[in-house]
Amino acid sequence: MSQADPTKAAARSWLRREQRAGNRAARPVLMWHVLGTLAGIGQAFAAASVLAGAFTGSIPAAPALLAFGMLALVRAGISYLTERAAFAAGATARRRLRSDALSRLLHAGPTMLRGRHSGDLATIVVDKIEALDGLFSRYVPAAIFAMVGPSVVLLAVLYADPWAALVLLGCGLLVPVGMAVAGIGAAAASRNQFLAMGRLQARFLDRVRGIATIVLYGRAEDEARALAIAADDLRARTMRVLRVAFLSSVVLDLAAALAMVVLAIHYFGLLRADGTAGILWPALAVLLLTPEFFAPLRTFSAAYQDRLHATGAAESLIDLPPLPEPAPAREIRTVAAQGVTVVFDNVRLTWDASRGPALDGLSFKAAAGETLVLAGPSGAGKSSVIEILLGFVRPDSGRVTINGADITDLVPQALSRLTGWIGQRPVLFAGSIRDNILFARPEASPEEVAAAATAARLDQFTAGLPAGLDTQIGEGGYGLSGGQAQRVAIARAYLKNAPLLLLDEPTAHLDPATEQEVLDSLRRLALGRTVILASHSSAAHGFGGRRLDLRDGKLIAARGVA
Amino acid sequence: MTGPLFRVIGLWGRQTGWLLFGLAMSLAALVAGIGLMTVSGLTIGAAILAGSLAVPAILRGFGASRVVLRYLERLVTHGATFRALADMRVWFFRRMAGTSAGGLGFRQAGDVLSRLVGDIEALDGLYLRILLPLAGAVLLLPVLVLLIGHRSAGLGTEIGVLFAAAAFALPWLAARASGSAGSLMAKEAGALRVAALDALTGLREVRAFAAEGRMIAAVQAKEAALLSAQQTMASRTAAAGAASFLCAQIAVLAVLIDAGKSPAVAIAAAFLVIAAFEAIGGLPRAGALAGYASAAARRVLEAADAPVPVPDPADPVAMPTGTALRFEAVEFRWQPDRPAVFDSLTLEIAQGARVALLGPSGAGKSTLAALALKVVAPRSGHIRLGGVDIVTLPAALVRTRIGWLGQTTHLFDDTIRANLLLARPDADEAALWAALDDARIGDVVRALPDRLDTWVGEGGTRFSGGQGRRLALARALLSPAPILILDEPCAGLDAETERSFLETLNETAAGRTLILITHRLTGVEKLDRIFRLSGGRAVAAAG
Repeated sequence: MSQADPTKAAARSWLRREQRAGNRAARPVLMWHVLGTLAGIGQAFAAASVLAGAFTGSIPAAPALLAFGMLALVRAGISYLTERAAFAAGATARRRLRSDALSRLLHAGPTMLRGRHSGDLATIVVDKIEALDGLFSRYVPAAIFAMVGPSVVLLAVLYADPWAALVLLGCGLLVPVGMAVAGIGAAAASRNQFLAMGRLQARFLDRVRGIATIVLYGRAEDEARALAIAADDLRARTMRVLRVAFLSSVVLDLAAALAMVVLAIHYFGLLRADGTAGILWPALAVLLLTPEFFAPLRTFSAAYQDRLHATGAAESLIDLPPLPEPAPAREIRTVAAQGVTVVFDNVRLTWDASRGPALDGLSFKAAAGETLVLAGPSGAGKSSVIEILLGFVRPDSGRVTINGADITDLVPQALSRLTGWIGQRPVLFAGSIRDNILFARPEASPEEVAAAATAARLDQFTAGLPAGLDTQIGEGGYGLSGGQAQRVAIARAYLKNAPLLLLDEPTAHLDPATEQEVLDSLRRLALGRTVILASHSSAAHGFGGRRLDLRDGKLIAARGVA
Repeated sequence: MTGPLFRVIGLWGRQTGWLLFGLAMSLAALVAGIGLMTVSGLTIGAAILAGSLAVPAILRGFGASRVVLRYLERLVTHGATFRALADMRVWFFRRMAGTSAGGLGFRQAGDVLSRLVGDIEALDGLYLRILLPLAGAVLLLPVLVLLIGHRSAGLGTEIGVLFAAAAFALPWLAARASGSAGSLMAKEAGALRVAALDALTGLREVRAFAAEGRMIAAVQAKEAALLSAQQTMASRTAAAGAASFLCAQIAVLAVLIDAGKSPAVAIAAAFLVIAAFEAIGGLPRAGALAGYASAAARRVLEAADAPVPVPDPADPVAMPTGTALRFEAVEFRWQPDRPAVFDSLTLEIAQGARVALLGPSGAGKSTLAALALKVVAPRSGHIRLGGVDIVTLPAALVRTRIGWLGQTTHLFDDTIRANLLLARPDADEAALWAALDDARIGDVVRALPDRLDTWVGEGGTRFSGGQGRRLALARALLSPAPILILDEPCAGLDAETERSFLETLNETAAGRTLILITHRLTGVEKLDRIFRLSGGRAVAAAG
């Protein structure tokens, strides 16, 4: 049944591919593991010699004791180096996979946020990649060593006592069989655990973000109780995984205990029957090597959970949109003297089929240097026009051209170079006000930043702050009012200085006096640029330029000079 | 360093039964495991010395119980850990709710999330990997010393010292050594999450400004810092592990050197020592991790112990029946080094009055609501509700009297229904629709296939900005509070809808005090008084 699930099949083949890639990186770890086992065999033989010699007096103790001590030092060094090598293998893989996941998310762009929580996406980039560490640092080397290690020990046991080697081989073979049986259920349960984890995290982030709303409605206690239920759900799911996953450890415990009991009783019988001489050394060597035989399997068993974790993480990673093929960039000419001409030709766009089309055959032209005001009630399609021009979304049908080039042919970087944008709700990043303005153009000089702040009327506010433009603002722009946050966004647009200016309700949260000031600044910025302004504010309608009235994604009236 | 960890353990009180059950299972499994190894060694000696014939039966018994007890131990101890951790999450959220009414402030949501989930989960090794093996070591030490010291006091002491070194001294040293690396790791993990959230929450900005490369570089820089902190930690953990291994080997060597005296006992002793040291082999590594866990515990508690911005009165007076709101000579600034928002604000809003507060952005319109809601306290002056100074009233009760629509009111990633019910959990279907209709969003919701059960998305992203505002407005209107403070209720509405909303607001809020915070009036509002806020004071504009 699980074979039919395409996500799981894809996750499995992704994991197989990654494991093959990990095999090469795991070679140093494996080499140290094998050397450690060889030293361990030497120690077991030496200890057996000392103990057997104590009975018979036939073997001199000093050289064996010296060997034991030297090998102990060597093994301690090897165990240190093994862990260093394992960390390096995991770190290299995480670095590669995290960059890949983030690039994919960033290239997929803002449409990722429709229906998905940014906290969820951050979980992929941070936690799910971290969850893959064990696959590369532990599971991959352990999986190879689980074959190699016991084989090496088995050869040593074969040398000491062939019959004991047979017993160990038999018990050892129990382990993979038992793990295969336990592993099937555990993989499915692991995915459930990861889903619960993601939902729980998203819920925490969402509730913590809105904690003011919760507290002011007096609902903190109810929410705390709801979180307790969610946490309890996570525990129930996790325990379901572990109940099965621990069975693979039971198989191992059983095999190891069985081998120990069978061998000990076997030697007990032999030693009672024919005294001490011949078999004391092999008996001791074999019993000392038995834990050594199972140690690689134990390591593998512990690492097996790393693979289950990785399966859960892999399923969210293969879900990510693929990186686009590097398209043959058709750069369009943007000669400043000519400016940018935007044409919409019978454009249709539907976000959600149940809500009807957002744009329903919309056609218009904004000539170079022209200002176009899109008017109409909320939901008329004003924002959709802007989002198409920003490249956030592609039209379902129809054609949008910029200077004659189809917008879908433009690489995002080329499109971004052409457009300046001020949206309804600017996202301000944690950092200073200056950092937030510089976001528009990081290489800008301090003078340019200051000029942009002045043009956006931000300086009036920052002048009253002790740290001025270097005042730190929190995530979401705490410490700034809605209007002040919007002015930071406007300063960004000034700094970017692009030939096509897209304004999406830029004055929605400003009082009339400030709105006028900002519109004045924007009017100055608009000179020589193509401007598309979406607004239902009457003040903005006095911005100048041509006005298009939209309703239900259609053009119902055009006013002003065509 | 151990202080925060002890306080965390104290938070697990409710789960004491489970935790002790896990401990018992763990110790029983340990005894069975050590017994199996020791008796195996003893078998050889017993065979040679023609000892007890019961040895095979004992062996089988230890073998079987070892397997069963290990499985039970794993299940019970993990279950107990998860229970304790769930308790701690909820405790933390409750504490946060008590301290952060004013929003997250300068604390970053991503950082808080990292604390909640990452740091709390970092503490899961505390019971499983630190406390349990430590308890096992405490049990094993006297057993080891007595069993081996029984024959040779010198050897017993020697092994006891080595065991104590591996079980107690090394972990303690490792914890000290890794303390700074652990704090750094927790900090860098938080920073990486904030960088990732910045890039992903700001996907629109990132695309519009073609900042993909820069954002990836920023995340990679944080990742490099995290990896370097993790590497330091890994090296210390590896060193602690190697040192513990050496202690075990020296102990075995001591037994071997002493083997000549009584070879049969030496064999059993060698197996006992190997098994005992293997059982505590993880402790020095756990010690290295304890530094990390301790840093996580400190951060968790630090966030939870943040001061309450407006403490409730120790001895609250009875809630007044009246709902007149009066500000008397209120002075307020957000931070001591920022300019005053109000220097001497005096304002009276009678019970049932309809008042508009006008003023440019930054004039303190929203601050006025924060003061009335006891989110912040004035530096001087009084705010009276029904004639009683709200300083003497519990914040929770004051808030039941005031329904509030803020500029940044949060829509939760939940259904429309759940978002509305936040304001009045017992509201029936009809009341929900009435509120939605009053807020001019009823028709939009009716047209959705899932209607009230439609998911609104993060911060209401599945709706347009105007629609999201109206959902928040519906929630505020649903609130049964006798005073309604609506902060820019018409932001994001087109002129037509705004007019029709304001016209019906009069019936909607009948009998309630209405405080309309806005930057402009349309002329259709029916108001008793209009105040203009400027220069930190309220001036009656008309009325």
